[in-house]
Amino acid sequence: MDTGSHLPKTGMIGELSETRYWIYLLLLPSLVIILLVIAYPTIYGMAISFREMRLTRPGLTGWVGFKHYIVMIDDPVFWVALKNTVLWVTFAVVLELGLGFIAATALNRNVPGTGIFAVLILVPYFLPNVVAGHMWALLLDPRLGVINDVLVRIGILSSYKAWFADPNTALAATIFVEAWHGFPFFALLLLAGLKGIPYDLYRAAAVDGAGPIAQFRLITVPMLKSVIAAAVILRVISLVNSPDLLLILTGGGPGDATQVLSLYAFQTAYKDFNFGYASALSVVMFVILMVFAYAYIRLSKIGQE
Amino acid sequence: MATLSLQNVQKSYGGLQVLHGIDVELEDGGFLVLLGPSGCGKSTLLNLIAGLDDVSAGDIRIDGRSVIELAPKDRNIAMVFQSYALYPTMSVERNIGFGLEMRGVNNTERNAAVKQAADLLQISHLLDRRPANLSGGQRQRVAMGRAIVRNPDLFLFDEPLSNLDAKLRAEMRTEIKRLHGRLGTSVVYVTHDQIEAMTLGTKVAVMKGGYIQQFADPQTIYEKPANMFVAGFIGSPSMNFVTGTLTSDGRLARFEAPGVQVEAPMSSGEIFGAKAAVLGIRPEELKIADSAGSMLTGIIDVVEPTGPDTMVTIRIAEQPIVARLPPRFFGRVGEAIWLSADVRSVSLFDAETERRIPLGTE
Repeated sequence: MDTGSHLPKTGMIGELSETRYWIYLLLLPSLVIILLVIAYPTIYGMAISFREMRLTRPGLTGWVGFKHYIVMIDDPVFWVALKNTVLWVTFAVVLELGLGFIAATALNRNVPGTGIFAVLILVPYFLPNVVAGHMWALLLDPRLGVINDVLVRIGILSSYKAWFADPNTALAATIFVEAWHGFPFFALLLLAGLKGIPYDLYRAAAVDGAGPIAQFRLITVPMLKSVIAAAVILRVISLVNSPDLLLILTGGGPGDATQVLSLYAFQTAYKDFNFGYASALSVVMFVILMVFAYAYIRLSKIGQE
Repeated sequence: MATLSLQNVQKSYGGLQVLHGIDVELEDGGFLVLLGPSGCGKSTLLNLIAGLDDVSAGDIRIDGRSVIELAPKDRNIAMVFQSYALYPTMSVERNIGFGLEMRGVNNTERNAAVKQAADLLQISHLLDRRPANLSGGQRQRVAMGRAIVRNPDLFLFDEPLSNLDAKLRAEMRTEIKRLHGRLGTSVVYVTHDQIEAMTLGTKVAVMKGGYIQQFADPQTIYEKPANMFVAGFIGSPSMNFVTGTLTSDGRLARFEAPGVQVEAPMSSGEIFGAKAAVLGIRPEELKIADSAGSMLTGIIDVVEPTGPDTMVTIRIAEQPIVARLPPRFFGRVGEAIWLSADVRSVSLFDAETERRIPLGTE
């Protein structure tokens, strides 16, 4: 009997599905989307950094090679912004990690009735940057700010202070607002990490003679290393890339006291309409973040476990 | 090495009392097993001895010294957890030496102690590994190594074998017994496994509902259970219970139920008539007898040969009992069977209080 004649008739797609090219065909739609929304904008953005593109001077266009990068080396604002970015991100992350650890440890104690705080503590993080920024701008306002009022009444300040207008306090004030806004992110991730540590480890450590500090240092922190590393990388990327809080609080001022790279790139693009230079600044940020993430992962050795 | 004394130890969580006046004495070098079903308070009691939880009332003394005000680390105890509780981020070597490290013992001394413990437990080749790369049995050994390296006054074991498979469990049980024999350190051992209790303990405290039901050596607990709970909990297959009536003329007690007749000398001299009672006979004590003068008469219901024994389920006027009889048992299902047992091996319980009625054979 000729069994072949009983096989169902298949069309072109049916035949194709039997070949090794089928898998590529199935991957094609997502590949197209990735190319369109991720690869193209990224490469286009990098390409602009090697071109002249100013909306104020439409005639001035064309490839300029490394011109923008060479200009950047002699641009004092770039170096100030770079220094401020490092300061802003470092202090904000350290503060947020510290506050997040305190909050997570407190919430992990499972004291009855504290469940509501687990939600309340997340409120700052729920607030959009723009709302949080305006709220703190008002709270710290040099004439109307309730914080100035309180500080004067309890005698810490002799008169109202313009926190964001004073170059000596502007950066610190913005770091304070950012820490308030961002610490719940760490609290949430660290709390999830803490919940994953078996309680028996602490009981064993107590019997072995480890006090609370030794337990924290030798059990909690090592057990949370991967969580901490991941949270820090995510937060650093987010802080380096987001100019919105500073845009609302200070706009980079006074002078360039709170100017950071992301804000500088944003203003170069949308105030000066100099897209070529703004792209070059963005590429530099991109490279800095790549180097940071690589070095951090290597140093924290999370890849090995 | 040390003695352990629990005096009227009580523990409450809010209004819920989980331990009611526990009194236990353990001799120097003894092996105390806290045995009971889950929720009986045995692990809570162990935590109180360890200092991981505070007593509500009563006293705990190690070598005569009250320890209830002391932190766990100051009680000179070592504990092995059911989950092993090995520190995942540390090597086996550091895990074992952690207690010494915390006590500030210098490197040379620590390494020597760790090596000695590892040799004793045959895990020297594993010292560089992380706990994640060990098998269950190896983790168990590391956990024990962490305990013995400190040379404590008292070992506390919290169901240490319950996460192992049956074969490994039997091996480790023997290993623990060997270690105890060699080190001579007093042990408190929590388990729900009556075989572990019987094989390991020099003293067994059977617990239920926060009370000690019986505290004695394993053989006494097996032969003279203080109440029906202990009688049913110890032994596999468990003790047969037959309900009936008990009369006593002061000298001789007579237990009767349909198909059952047992006479035993009374110890108390108490005289009573027709009291509801429960007869307890272990399956392994039952022997085939003649129809004349037998204790039990019944119908064979199920025959289960296991190799070394034959388990026979017998219906005695609708009350099923199990007899462990020799192999090559030729009785057939539905046939009548007569059984007897040494009167010194039977137990009688008050049906109301479920307490043991002492017989003159004791």
